[in-house]
Amino acid sequence: MPTGLSWTELDRSVDDLRAVLRFRGASLEARSRRRLRVGAGVVLALTLAAIVVPAYLRGALHEEHVGQFLPILPSLYLGFLFLTILTASASGGGRELVPRDQAVAFPVSTTTDHFGALLMAPLNVAWLMQAWALLGLTAYVLGPAHLWASMLPVLVWLALATALAQVAGWLLEWVRRGPHGIWIARGITAAFFLLLAALILTHELTDVLDRSPTVRILLAAAWGAGGSWWSLARFLLEAVLATAVVVVLGAVPARWALHRTQREELRLESGVQPARNNPGSDLVAMLRVDRAAIWRSVPLRRGLVVLAFMPGLVAFSGHLEWRMIVILPGLVVSGGALLFGVNTWCLDGRGALWRDSLPASPNLAFISRVVVLYEVLLFSAGLTILLAALRAGTPTADEVVALVCATVVVAAQVVRASMTWSVRRPFAVDLRSARATPAPPVVMVGYSARLALSTTVTGMVFSGLALLGDWRFTVLLALTMLLWSSYRLARTATAWTNPQVRSRIVAVVAS
Amino acid sequence: MTQGQQSIPRIDVRDLCVRFGSVDAVRGIDLQAHAGRATALLGRNGAGKSTTMRVLAGVIPPTSGDVLVDGIDVRRDPLAVKRTIGYCPDVGGLVPRATPWEHLQLAARLRRLDGWEDRAHDLLERFDLGAAAHRVTAGFSHGMGRRMSVILACFHRPSVLLLDEPFDGVDPVGVEATLEVIADARARGACVLVSTHLRDLAMQACETALVLRGGSTVASLSAAELVGEEGAVAYRALLD
Repeated sequence: MPTGLSWTELDRSVDDLRAVLRFRGASLEARSRRRLRVGAGVVLALTLAAIVVPAYLRGALHEEHVGQFLPILPSLYLGFLFLTILTASASGGGRELVPRDQAVAFPVSTTTDHFGALLMAPLNVAWLMQAWALLGLTAYVLGPAHLWASMLPVLVWLALATALAQVAGWLLEWVRRGPHGIWIARGITAAFFLLLAALILTHELTDVLDRSPTVRILLAAAWGAGGSWWSLARFLLEAVLATAVVVVLGAVPARWALHRTQREELRLESGVQPARNNPGSDLVAMLRVDRAAIWRSVPLRRGLVVLAFMPGLVAFSGHLEWRMIVILPGLVVSGGALLFGVNTWCLDGRGALWRDSLPASPNLAFISRVVVLYEVLLFSAGLTILLAALRAGTPTADEVVALVCATVVVAAQVVRASMTWSVRRPFAVDLRSARATPAPPVVMVGYSARLALSTTVTGMVFSGLALLGDWRFTVLLALTMLLWSSYRLARTATAWTNPQVRSRIVAVVAS
Repeated sequence: MTQGQQSIPRIDVRDLCVRFGSVDAVRGIDLQAHAGRATALLGRNGAGKSTTMRVLAGVIPPTSGDVLVDGIDVRRDPLAVKRTIGYCPDVGGLVPRATPWEHLQLAARLRRLDGWEDRAHDLLERFDLGAAAHRVTAGFSHGMGRRMSVILACFHRPSVLLLDEPFDGVDPVGVEATLEVIADARARGACVLVSTHLRDLAMQACETALVLRGGSTVASLSAAELVGEEGAVAYRALLD
């Protein structure tokens, strides 16, 4: 297969990337630009804090946890690579800098698309949080001596792992778009997880992880902290060169993948959906269309599968205790909302105008969206809890109450936030491609950060309440928080019933 | 239908204004359309045709002016207006991941229709969509989508039929079926409003035409005045 990869093309692709970035930037309003600058400043400040604070905290904590974190750092570096591969694979190779339907009029090459996807990869709260965790733990373990030098190998690893993940993502997407690709891709994924499960169950995982080549990153970071400049420089040179090579070579599988037809999307669009009996009520009729919009959308199906299994598998392999499992539903429901919930009216796409012209109360459409959102979130959270429970032992009654309350409360919080954002800031998005997101990537980072923060704090509060030994406090707090979320949700429903507000949303979504 | 019933306007718009932020999309349109008649809304892009149609469909509230559809004030009771009308929007009009049959089931349920299936099958066949009835609409061509939108607008036999760009990108079979739908609606006494760029087709379907420019009405003409070469010249002159 001709790759057509040349210096001229690379040069041109970089120029095109700049042009596309300018195009995206030009479409931002002054307020959005301000928000973007503030957001970038916050990310930079948090990154610096993630490095500096743990390094100097070490002394205050009398280095008591250093021995605990040191042996697991190489595994955590490897875990970062694994999770970025998963993100790139689930999103069909990587996110689009410009949606395909908008870019179709411009000669945007697959190499530009590849570079764009690489740029977008860190615009993801999961990527950012893992990166901060790696930087923070390394700084904590190695201490403040030559801090900048000990961080360099980790920073280069973040870049290299992201580039490697992008290559893996494109390769899997290439396979997926080929003959019998969907089944082959599923087979590869299943084989990987079976292997992982086998390693866990035979207690071999630790031995395998101990032989991880990522030990070199920790060694290089230690060279930096210890002032072994020559060794550090040699590692950095190798790692930077490897990153550059992987970034450039990634354009090849990107081209292979993007030149193939989107088989899974086409299969869903051309397949026959058997007719069902006529719906028995208005709400059921609405729910059917909304559920179809979710389960027949490739990015949503893939996202939901990843969301339903991944956190559960991590909990399963990590042998989490019940107190930690209480925090998991928050992360899962946040992820679920980010698949479509934060811009829920986009499920109607261009049919929004027709749907709003039907003789139904606007409240009915609102209730239908709330119900499908709850369904998806509780289903994913339930599956995660189930997988996590397999190795967590028998919970106490207080832990069960805390887990149930935390799950219901975080779901209510996330549904409330999602519906509010959907009404306040709708976007015209077609969730057809596996690479699509319900809002622009920068907006998604803001949404995901806010959801992750609020649900994690809520999960930690309920986890703490499980220790009190009186489940009534837990239930009381849950009821209070549910009432507050319901009140805020009712206010959003009132805003949606306003014809002016609704017409704006419908016009944007259908445009 | 008696002469008296025909003289009562089913659509009565007076001094309609619609503003989006600082943009005036519609600036004082007056429009009357009657039962058993088809009226065309003509004009260039941005003339205010689709916005007017959306107001009549109860999707956009008017900023000012009076809008009565079948005697119902759109601003006061948009839900009752939605029960009265059948609307084919100018863009899309279909939920991407639902099938035509699922669209029809939803519409039939919300409009309280019984025994609608035979008519739905008949319309799908007439518009050459029978084979695609159970495929999701995301895979439809533009023309297929337009045809399906017309079916959704007319299948419950509304007393006011609003068709926004129904001929756009549609093949001759679809055009013929749409013209039949309009003729059927007129024959049973419905009021039909057709917004389109295609003057020739509009004149085949309608008796009168309203020409809009820059959000205002510039002329109200009979179909005879807009037919043929002379009609084209007259129409062109009204656009600038």
